[in-house]
Amino acid sequence: MYQYDTIDREFLADRAAEFKEQVERRLAGEITEDQFKMLRLRNGLYLQLHAYMLRVAIPYGSLNATQLRKLADIGRRYDKGYGHFTTRTNLQFHWIKLREAPAILEELATVDLHAIQTSGNCIRNVTSDPYAGATAEEIDDPRVWSEAIRQWSMLHPEFSHLPRKFKFAVTAAPKDRTAARVHDIGLVVRRARDGTMGFEVIVGGGMGRTPYVGPTIREFLPANRLFSYLDATLRVYNRHGRRDNSYKARIKILVAALGREEFARQVEEEWEKVGAGADMPDTEIARIRAAFAPKAFDTLVNRSEAFETAKAADPAFARFARNNLKPHKRPGYTIVEISLKGIGDTPGDATSDQMDVVADLGERYGQNDIRITHEQNLVLPHVKLDDAHAVFQALAAAGLATPNINLITDIIACPGLDYCALANARAIPIAQDIAHRFADQDRAELVGELKIKISGCINACGHHHVGHIGILGVDKKGEEFYQLTLGGSGAEDAEVGKMLGPALPADRVTDAIDTIVEVYLRERVEGERFLDTFRRTGSAPFKEAVYAEAH
Amino acid sequence: MKALTANRLDDGEVVFWNKGAWVERFADAELFADDASGEAAEGAGKSQPNTVIDVYLIDLIESEGLWAPLSFRERIRALGPLNHPTHGKQAEGGAAIEALRHAAGASRSTGRVNLIKRK
Repeated sequence: MYQYDTIDREFLADRAAEFKEQVERRLAGEITEDQFKMLRLRNGLYLQLHAYMLRVAIPYGSLNATQLRKLADIGRRYDKGYGHFTTRTNLQFHWIKLREAPAILEELATVDLHAIQTSGNCIRNVTSDPYAGATAEEIDDPRVWSEAIRQWSMLHPEFSHLPRKFKFAVTAAPKDRTAARVHDIGLVVRRARDGTMGFEVIVGGGMGRTPYVGPTIREFLPANRLFSYLDATLRVYNRHGRRDNSYKARIKILVAALGREEFARQVEEEWEKVGAGADMPDTEIARIRAAFAPKAFDTLVNRSEAFETAKAADPAFARFARNNLKPHKRPGYTIVEISLKGIGDTPGDATSDQMDVVADLGERYGQNDIRITHEQNLVLPHVKLDDAHAVFQALAAAGLATPNINLITDIIACPGLDYCALANARAIPIAQDIAHRFADQDRAELVGELKIKISGCINACGHHHVGHIGILGVDKKGEEFYQLTLGGSGAEDAEVGKMLGPALPADRVTDAIDTIVEVYLRERVEGERFLDTFRRTGSAPFKEAVYAEAH
Repeated sequence: MKALTANRLDDGEVVFWNKGAWVERFADAELFADDASGEAAEGAGKSQPNTVIDVYLIDLIESEGLWAPLSFRERIRALGPLNHPTHGKQAEGGAAIEALRHAAGASRSTGRVNLIKRK
């Protein structure tokens, strides 16, 4: 894990002290709300329906046990004993008091955490592969590049007032766990035939009001030229992005308006002007890379007798292993996914006690390494198969062993109208209701991989556009209705889902999902996921069934 | 019928106007039967920018013999997040909370629409 140095730590402490003074001045009436609002947002502090919300950045979704314990502690002391993990791999506290926010920033700074660049028209927290450093699929460790981008973008004066917010995703595996193609910039590590490392550069993806799967503007960018190319890309955006209309201000609109070729041409032209002087020196990349040096893994054999014995004796563990354990690059190790989608729970919520349990397990069994996924789950990337049963038992005791990763109950949902000042409809109760309907694990496994994603408004924090089944909450004359989309994907086969038909009232949504699943089970052929079947059959059989029942 | 709402500056708490003071429970809010009295309170509330932010009038409807915000969003503000029934104002329970829970009807509050337009 990357370690902050003295300068980083002094900066964070100074920043917290600065915010403390700003809050004191606001509370004393020395500055107005208009003057203050920008300052608090620059420190991740939003006003929502019931209280302030503090969004803490978790750089590329990577934490150590000390940091997670600190988040648990803050949740306990300043919130209501919990936190909410988001689709941007951040953590939101929903019950924060303005007068206490500076103290929280001070506490976060003691463990190298902060809330900078979690708001505003700047480069936000980078999303990366939660299996980084653990999966055999990857060409390189994407955290190296994510951290380099963090350092390059942090308080970058030229890119602190972009036309609109800007989000990066970096992955180095063919299986995309970052939704790279629906980010402002997605970087996919590639290796050329001569062994040179570089990136496929995808620009102009995004969700929200106008969803796009981003086009590739450069098939292969040599890795050592990354930062001059990013400078050039951001400059073209900064120059031509639509500052006149916030709905059209994201880079995706510019790329779509210019077209992929013309946008790429302008970037190339700018890139020549920028020159190699803007690239990060190889020595600096090497310094960052050292922070992500491979862990000291024990030499083990592939088969763990303890693991096999536990699976045979404990059916619940066998089910957990089947759904939540993923292959590790080293023999005798596994990646453990921890679902924050307990049946009937709020997707992404973890209590402070649960965070402490995960921190303890990460420290004891997982090389002190904990990850957050953009699908609102947690990961222990390096667990010995020999220890997997003990980890499972501890998770089960904490209510964290739901064996549903990638299944129909592993639902993404934004906070929605229960919390969010922007929402038009609730997302959480729809997720809860669907999860209850499919609580039978045998049925959920029979259905197989099916990603439901729910947003409470068109801003799409719940990624509904790229759900295999997407659900968008809309407001119809003040009543909650839900628009279904089918066939979306945020993975390497990214696609924006297609609208199924007229929006449904809240009490019809779960029945509609049930119907869609039944049509899929009827139509699917051997080995097809829901998405495969939908792509083969198209909307017709699903639409017919859902709207036949709705009338 | 209308009431005046805002969020308290120092902790973000949802508050309602009652005869010159800000109270936390919707059941304690002052009710305005006519536009003029509501607008007068709104003006007075907005003159306290270091106590509250986002001051606006909300429309009310009758529910179980009591008044409740017309807009679902405002009912959630008056209750708390519905996924955590022990969080927020709803934790107190009682007839006033039940009336809010059971209220139906749902358009946006005109006061908030005006607030958004001004922004």
